[in-house]
Amino acid sequence: MEKFTIELIVANRYGVLNRITGLYARRGYNIDSLNVNETADPQFSRMLIVSRGDAYIQTQMVRQLSKLYDVKEVTLMATVNFKK
Amino acid sequence: MKRSGAQIIIEQLCVHGVTTVFGYPGSAVLPLYDELYKNAHRIRHIITAHEQGAAHAADGYARASGKTGVVITTSGPGATNIVTGIANAYLDSVPLVAITGNVDVPLLGKDSFQEVDIVGITQPVVKHNFVVRDIEELAFILHEAFRIAGSGRKGPVLVDIPRDIQTKLCTYQEMKPADTAAPIQKHGDLQEAIQAIKGSKRPYIYAGGGVVASGAQEELLEFSRRICAPVGLSMMGMTALPASYEWNLGMCGMHGTEAAAIVESESDLLIALGVRFSERATGDIEAYRKNRTILHIDIDLSEIDKNVPSQIGICGDIKEVLRSLLDTLPQRENNAWQQRAAQLKSTQNVSSQNNFSPKSIIETVSRYCRSDTLIATDVGQHQIWTMLYYPFEKCRTLLTSGGLGTMGYGMGAAIGGCIAMGGRQTVLFTSDGSFGMNLCELATAVSQELPIVVVILNNQSLGMVRQWQTMFYEGRYSQSTLHRKTDFAALADAFGAIGYKAATLQELENALQNAPKVGPMVIDCPINIDEKVLPMIPPGGCVEDIITS
Ligand SMILES: Cc1ncc(C[n+]2csc(CCOP(=O)(O)OP(=O)(O)O)c2C)c(N)n1
Ligand SMILES: [Mg+2]
Repeated sequence: MEKFTIELIVANRYGVLNRITGLYARRGYNIDSLNVNETADPQFSRMLIVSRGDAYIQTQMVRQLSKLYDVKEVTLMATVNFKK
Repeated sequence: MKRSGAQIIIEQLCVHGVTTVFGYPGSAVLPLYDELYKNAHRIRHIITAHEQGAAHAADGYARASGKTGVVITTSGPGATNIVTGIANAYLDSVPLVAITGNVDVPLLGKDSFQEVDIVGITQPVVKHNFVVRDIEELAFILHEAFRIAGSGRKGPVLVDIPRDIQTKLCTYQEMKPADTAAPIQKHGDLQEAIQAIKGSKRPYIYAGGGVVASGAQEELLEFSRRICAPVGLSMMGMTALPASYEWNLGMCGMHGTEAAAIVESESDLLIALGVRFSERATGDIEAYRKNRTILHIDIDLSEIDKNVPSQIGICGDIKEVLRSLLDTLPQRENNAWQQRAAQLKSTQNVSSQNNFSPKSIIETVSRYCRSDTLIATDVGQHQIWTMLYYPFEKCRTLLTSGGLGTMGYGMGAAIGGCIAMGGRQTVLFTSDGSFGMNLCELATAVSQELPIVVVILNNQSLGMVRQWQTMFYEGRYSQSTLHRKTDFAALADAFGAIGYKAATLQELENALQNAPKVGPMVIDCPINIDEKVLPMIPPGGCVEDIITS
């Protein structure tokens, strides 16, 4: 299945990572890679999450993630060609 | 001025218009309970028999009144006892704020006495939850809790407050309630919706809990009349239209009416309002989508295209969207379609073999009820019979567990609803299995002097389970026959309530006439163990598979 990357700006607080990965886990979507970095503003972190799924899964993940209180921004990144 | 954490909780509850809370004390909330004692003139605290009952009561309070319900418990077992109640509120989008105590901050994470990670436990079933580790954050967190619970798609929020946070002091600045009508993410094109409606020959509306939550009953009625569309309701939407409305076809889906199933299958446009297309409502999704356009309107963007892909999806508050549609849509004429719906509605009549049947019992009770009587149910056959036979006229008169299907919900919900509406006449339709789960709350109804009539449709079994075993397991009744000898009428007496046994409609009427103005009454109505909920569309089926006898 197609890989896709979601970029998140989230509150830089304990427990936030858990809420986000929990959402993936509940729907049975594996996370292929995960990156978390504090932004220039220490109140926020930027996350990059790579997982797999079709257009339905991608839209669902964006919409479900947008509902989380600690999530400030969600971007579905243009699909990257991982096979180059 | 400095205030303690417990005082701040009280102030924040009052600022948010909370006048009644449900709960149960314990060591981790004793500072808060001390303040509740001192503030009894501002906040009424209802002590239940079990925390689960308190959570369901707060939920029933919210459903009946439209306000956010509040439940308070201690840490550990007090907190875990409300998990079902929280999940129940989550699946039915009921605004609820749950406050749990916890061990002192330095003891957190050490498996201390009565410590559980209730924030971790409830994470999948709340809109959000908080642990307060710093008293400076307390007022803001409570403010956020009420804002989140009551805005957008409503739901439960849990705030875990360690005991020492309740006793610490800090400067308190009042935080006025947030505007919960905050703008919702807009999505979709109203023009497309208008074109689809104008082009449709046989429009059909499938309305759900979102209509009730946004208070859009009048708009729905006008919309249905304007575009000549008959309406089927989800269980959560049962009070979205008066039962007497000629194109209200009643509940749709697995245990819905035949009229709703047929009209749905003949429609060319399905307008879904405030629903999530539960598989109990749709059955086979391919058959459901075939030959019709789906227009889905919901406040929660993640619901659009989640279970059923729609051709047109609109995200917004139902009331606002319907108003915009009504502003532009002209009055339609569609005699043939309306007559078809009206004729199907009038011929739908499930006959009952014997005189003292679920149908005749519910109809007899309904004659004794007023249009604003609160109806609570538990879960099982009796719940579906209530949906099929009770004529709901007014919005927010039904308290039932739709999404989670929680047996034992009804008694707590009836208490909460009755209290929310100032002691209004309340009826709980239940059965022996469900009532057995939380009947301890009869004690609460007695001490609070609540006029709740509990009608037990007593089939001496887990009737719904038995029905499935009859239909799909060749009559192997595994653990669904309850060989109990409970005398519910005597039990009611023992609780200080009034108990009756009614085996005929006449006896039922006599009992109802003696219903007290204060305090609960229990009427045990023995019915045939093999009464079925019909019609039924088997799981994953469609209208062709409907079983009517
Ligand atoms: C807490 C809980 N446990 C189990 C179930 C599964 N269940 C659904 S209906 C039902 C039977 C309900 O029996 P009763 O309350 O007597 O109602 P009846 O079907 O007889 O009207 C059961 C066990 C449930 N919904 N909730
Ligand atoms: Mg039963």
